[in-house]
Amino acid sequence: MAAENETTSPREEPPKALVMAVQIIDNVVGRGSGLLFAGLVLPMVGGLCYEVFARYLFNAPTIWAYDVTYMLYGSHFMLGAAYTLYKGSHIRTDMLYENFTLRWKGRVDASMYLVFFFPGMLFFMLAGWDEAMHSWGIGERSDASPWRPIIYPFKTVVSIAAALLIIQGFSEFLKSGYAAIKGEKLIEVEPPALRGDII
Amino acid sequence: MSPEYLGLILLVALITCIFIGFPIAFTLIILAVVFGYIGFGKVVFFLMFFQTWQIMKEETLAAVPLFIFMGHILEQAGLMERLFLSFQFILARVKGSLFLGVLFVSTIFATATGIIGASVTVMGLLAAPAMMRSRYNTALSAGVITAGGCLGILIPPSVLLVVLGPVVGVSVVQLFAAAIMPGLILSGLYFGYTFVRCQLNPDLGPPLPEEEHPESFFVVIREFFLGIVPLAVVVFAALGSIIAGLATPTEAAAMAALGALLLTALYGRLNWTMLREATLSTLATSSMVLFLAVASNIYGSVFARLGTATLITDTMLALPVSPMAMIIILMAVIFVLGWPLEWPAIVLIFVPIFLPVVEALQSDPDNPLLPGIEPQHAMVWFCTLVAVNLQTAFLSPPVAMAAYYLKGVAPEWELSDIYNGMLQFMVLQVVGLLVVLFYPEVALWLPRVIFGG
Repeated sequence: MAAENETTSPREEPPKALVMAVQIIDNVVGRGSGLLFAGLVLPMVGGLCYEVFARYLFNAPTIWAYDVTYMLYGSHFMLGAAYTLYKGSHIRTDMLYENFTLRWKGRVDASMYLVFFFPGMLFFMLAGWDEAMHSWGIGERSDASPWRPIIYPFKTVVSIAAALLIIQGFSEFLKSGYAAIKGEKLIEVEPPALRGDII
Repeated sequence: MSPEYLGLILLVALITCIFIGFPIAFTLIILAVVFGYIGFGKVVFFLMFFQTWQIMKEETLAAVPLFIFMGHILEQAGLMERLFLSFQFILARVKGSLFLGVLFVSTIFATATGIIGASVTVMGLLAAPAMMRSRYNTALSAGVITAGGCLGILIPPSVLLVVLGPVVGVSVVQLFAAAIMPGLILSGLYFGYTFVRCQLNPDLGPPLPEEEHPESFFVVIREFFLGIVPLAVVVFAALGSIIAGLATPTEAAAMAALGALLLTALYGRLNWTMLREATLSTLATSSMVLFLAVASNIYGSVFARLGTATLITDTMLALPVSPMAMIIILMAVIFVLGWPLEWPAIVLIFVPIFLPVVEALQSDPDNPLLPGIEPQHAMVWFCTLVAVNLQTAFLSPPVAMAAYYLKGVAPEWELSDIYNGMLQFMVLQVVGLLVVLFYPEVALWLPRVIFGG
C-alpha cells in the first residue's frame, strides 16, 4: 500500500520498444485470448439446456452433450489461464506481498517468473505436446460415451494453454523486471479484477 | 533420503513459497515437477499430463463456470436492489430493520448464487448509505453485510461444494443437500443475534425515519412480487431439479444460467457490453479456481506417490487422541490455514492431505468416528464441516477480503469498525461449526430423508 509514494524524481520515459512489446502481448494474447475464449461459456449453456429439453420434452436425449460439455469446459478454463494471468487474478497469498513496495513486488515477481514460472510452464507445454502428438498419431477417440468423438484436438489444448501462458508470462516478466529496476510501473494496466468477483 | 521425507521437504518448500506471494498455481507445478523428478524420474511428466487431463475431463466441474456465470448475470439484473427495497419497506417499523433486510436479501441471494465477493460489494453499495443515514451502528452494519454476503458460498448451489465433491469423492448432490441446514442455521444465528441486540439497545439500529416508509402497502406488495417471485422460481427450479435427481448439478447450473439470462432480459438489463463483461469475469474467476485445481492435482499426485501422504496419515493416526478430538484438531488447522489462504487453496491442497485420516478414523471397527454411520455419509459430514469452517476464513481479520470489498464501497467506515463487526459474526460462525461438529445429524438428516440410507 506504500508502493505508490516511493519515487520522488520525475518519471523518465521508458524505452519505446519495451512498452510496444508489452502492449502487443497484452492486447493480442492477454485480452485477445480472453475475448476469444470467454464466449465458450455460452455454447456450454446452450448445449446443456438443449440436452435437458431434448430429454424431457422430446424424450430424445442427445449422445453428444456429455462430451461437448467437458470439452468446452476444459478448453474454457485452460485457454483462459493466460487472460487470468493478464488480469492478475491467479490466487496469490497477499499477506506479505500486499505490503511490499512496487520495487520489491517487481523483484519477487521477476525472479519467480524466471526460476518458477518459465521452467514449469515449459515442462507443462512439452508434456502436453508429447501426449497430443501421440493422440494425433493414433487418431484417438474418446471412450467416455458411445458417441466416441475424436479427442486429439482437446488434448492439444494443454500445450496451447501453456504456450499462451508463456507468452503472456513474458510480458508480465518485462513489467515486473522494469518495476524491480526502476521502482515504477512500465505501463498503467487496467486495475486487476477484484478477486472478490468470486471468493 | 527416503522419498517420504523428500515429500515432507516438498510440503515445507510449498508453504514457504506460497508466502512469498507468487501465484500459487505456478509454484505448485514447478515444485511438483522438480521434486517428482528427483523422487521417481521421468514418470513425473506423464503424471503431470494425466492429472491435468483428469480435471479437464471432469464433467461435474463444468458446473463451476456455469454457476459463476449465473452469479455475474444475476448481479447485473438489479434484483438485489429490488429485494432490498421491498424488505426495507416491509420492515420499516421494526428495530434494526436494515440489518434484517440485509440478512433476508443475503440469504435469498445465497440460494441463487454460489459466489461471495460480488454480494458483499453489491450489498455494501445498497445498504451502507441507508445505514449511515439512519445512524446505524457501524460495526454491526459491517458485520451483517460481510457475514450475510459470505453465506453464498455455503448455501447451495455453491462453487465451493462443486469443487469439494470431486476432491473428496462424494456426490455434489449429497453435499448440496447436507449444506442446506447448516447454512440456514448460520443465517438464523445472524438474525437472532442482530434482532436481540437491537431490542436490547435500539440505538444500534433505530427504526427508519418517516420519509423512508413506503407510500402505500400496494407498493410493498408490488416490489416484493416483482423482485422476489421470478428469482425464487429460477432458484428453486435449479436447486429442486438437482435434489430431485431430474438434472445433474452441471445441467441445473446451465438451466439456471439460462433462467438468469431470461430474467435479465425481462428486466431490460441485457445488452452486449454487459454480456461481454459477465463472460470475461466468468473466464477469469473460473480459470483461477480450475487452473489451481489442475496444479494441486499434479502436486497432490507427486506428494502421494512419494509416500508422504501415507506418512502423514500414519503419524496423525498414531496420536493418542480420540477420533472426535482428531477432527477438532483438523478443523483447527483448517481454521488457521483460512487466515492466510483463500478457500480454493485450502480445499484443493490441504483437504486431500487430511482426507485419508478421516477415512481411516471412520473405518476403524472398534472405535469409529461416527458410530452407525456409513463411510460415505461420514465424508459428507466432514465436507460440510470444512465448508462451514471456511465461512470463518472469509471473516477473519485482518486478511479477509470481505473487509476490503466493503471498505471499497463504504469508504466512510473505519477498517477497525469493520473488523470489530466481522469478529462478532465470526463467533457466531464458530457456534455454528460446533453445532455441526457435535450434532452430525444437522448435516446428515436432509440427505438421508431425500436419498435414503
